[in-house]
This record gives sequence, C-alpha cells and structure tokens, in this order.
Amino acid sequence: MDVTFSDYIESLKITGDFFLHPEETLDEITTELTGVAVPIQKELLLRKIKYVMDSNEAEVIGITLEDILNTLEEVTQ
Amino acid sequence: MTKFRMIPFTSLNAFTNMALDGAIMESVRKGISKPTIRFYGWDPSAISIGFFQGIENEVNLDATQKDGVDVIRRLTGGGAVYHDLAGEVTYSLIAPVELFPENIIESYQTICDDVIYALCQLGIDAVFSPINDILVNDRKISGNAQTRRNGILLQHGTILYSVDVDKMFTYLNVSDQKISDKQINSIQERVTSVFDLTTASLDELKKALIIGFKRNREVEFGDYSDLEKEHAQKLIHDRFNNKTWTYRL
Repeated sequence: MDVTFSDYIESLKITGDFFLHPEETLDEITTELTGVAVPIQKELLLRKIKYVMDSNEAEVIGITLEDILNTLEEVTQ
Repeated sequence: MTKFRMIPFTSLNAFTNMALDGAIMESVRKGISKPTIRFYGWDPSAISIGFFQGIENEVNLDATQKDGVDVIRRLTGGGAVYHDLAGEVTYSLIAPVELFPENIIESYQTICDDVIYALCQLGIDAVFSPINDILVNDRKISGNAQTRRNGILLQHGTILYSVDVDKMFTYLNVSDQKISDKQINSIQERVTSVFDLTTASLDELKKALIIGFKRNREVEFGDYSDLEKEHAQKLIHDRFNNKTWTYRL
C-alpha cells in the first residue's frame, strides 16, 4: 500500500495479489478512503467500504476489508 | 448442451495473448462468438502481473528489458507469473457466467478439474487447492486466475511443463533482500512440473489438455475471427502495450 498523508489521507494506492470482482470496485474504495482524517476511524470506514462493496455486488478473495484498514492504520501511525 | 469453440495451441507475444482474451470476452458477450477455450504459449517469455499488483514491487524491470522478456498486466487478479517460452502451456476459458457455478471457488474448481483430468491422463495425481491452485504432493503445478465482467467469465491458467527457478528469480522480485540459495531451494520444493514427474513431452501435455477440456463439453475446433483479431490490435494499442495500463498510472 502506498500512502501519502498529513492530518488526512492525501493519496492512496492499494496493491497486492488479491482478487476483487468487479475489479473497478477498488477505485471506489480508494476514493472513499482518500481525504479521510488521520488517525483513521476504522469502524466508520469499514461501514463505508462495505457499502461500496454491497452496491457493486463485489466479492473479494485473498484479502479482507479489515486487512486493508489495518494496513492503512499501521502505515498512517 | 452449449457448444464451445476450441482454439489449438499457438505461441504469441504477451500483449496479443491478453488482448485476444479481452477481444473474445467482448465477442462472446455480444453473442458473435461461441464460448471459447484456447491454448497458448508466450513468445517471447513474459512476466504477467495481477490486476492489482504494483509493477515495480513485483518485477525486475532492468532484467526483463535486458533479456527481452515482455511484462504485462493481466485482466485478472492474483500474483506475478513468469511464463517461460518452452516451459508451460496456458489456457483461457471464456464463457457466460451462467454456465458455471456462481460461487467463485466452485467455478475455479469446475474448470481446474479439467486440468486435473488432463494431468491424470499423463499419470499425474493432482488435486485442486483453493483458491486457485492445482497441486501434486503439495507442490504447485498450475496457477489459475479468474475475472467476471459484464456477464462473462474469463479463467486463465498455466500448467508448468518445466521450471527454471533461477530464471524465475532473475525477473521476479521476491523480496528486497538478496535471494539466498536456501530461498531458491524453498521455492523449488514448492513447485513441480510435468517434466519433473513424467516422461511426457510438451505435445503430450497439449493433447491431454484438449482431452481434459473436451470431456464434459461439446466442442468444435476453430480460430480467432477477423473481428477478434482486429479488436485485439486495438486493445494492444489502448491497453495491454500501453504504459498507463501496465504501470497503473
């Protein structure tokens, strides 16, 4: 994960060997996470990206949404 | 029973290979082409990276450039793969999603069972290992990846005929640390190939795969349509041989 942040997430690129169908859902997740305040509020963001997943009928394999947020939290600490 | 088109093995460059998958997905979606199974090799050898991977993290670009190894981003997720010109057979299966289980793992297994059947024809006892691998004695012999777009399923996968782990490590970045002999041994212990396990030739593997993919389907042999070839050229230019796509700029 490549993150640029100050007191908010300025830019974010999520990379890895996971599967996400449809793949374009990742762009929406990235958009949802960009601009949020640091330190991040994981519970709130989890709800937001679950909504993105549901509205795209998306399915992720090989990684969880919690993994993404845990990494983001770790990187921005 | 739905009739499939089967396109025999051809070796093509990475950009054409991936663009043909994209073009066939579109023509199957429009109902112009039948669901399709194709077999192919990679000439020149290539690295394919998963849809979500960072190219600089995964690929030693200096080495690939120096040796003329193509680098391409796939339509599918998953990890980086070294496709050796002489070391593997790749298949793609492209069909409407409703022909396969809705559950993604089950659909992987359905298609991987055809590969397992093919390997069985060569005397190799292989098993499906979720999410997307085929193993022999806990060693990987085949990796597979799937996407579903606009009602069309694409699954492609490689079956290792022979493995050159040293070469693989020349082009793939395994870690920032220098790769030790121990690590190479560890990878060698985790992969296997048809050549390691049998006396079967590459041609015999290709024939066995045809049998495997034909066994539960009505199949007619065919070729790429002119429309698919034309569309593939456009996809090569706009996407697969375009830095914006490859580097995810």
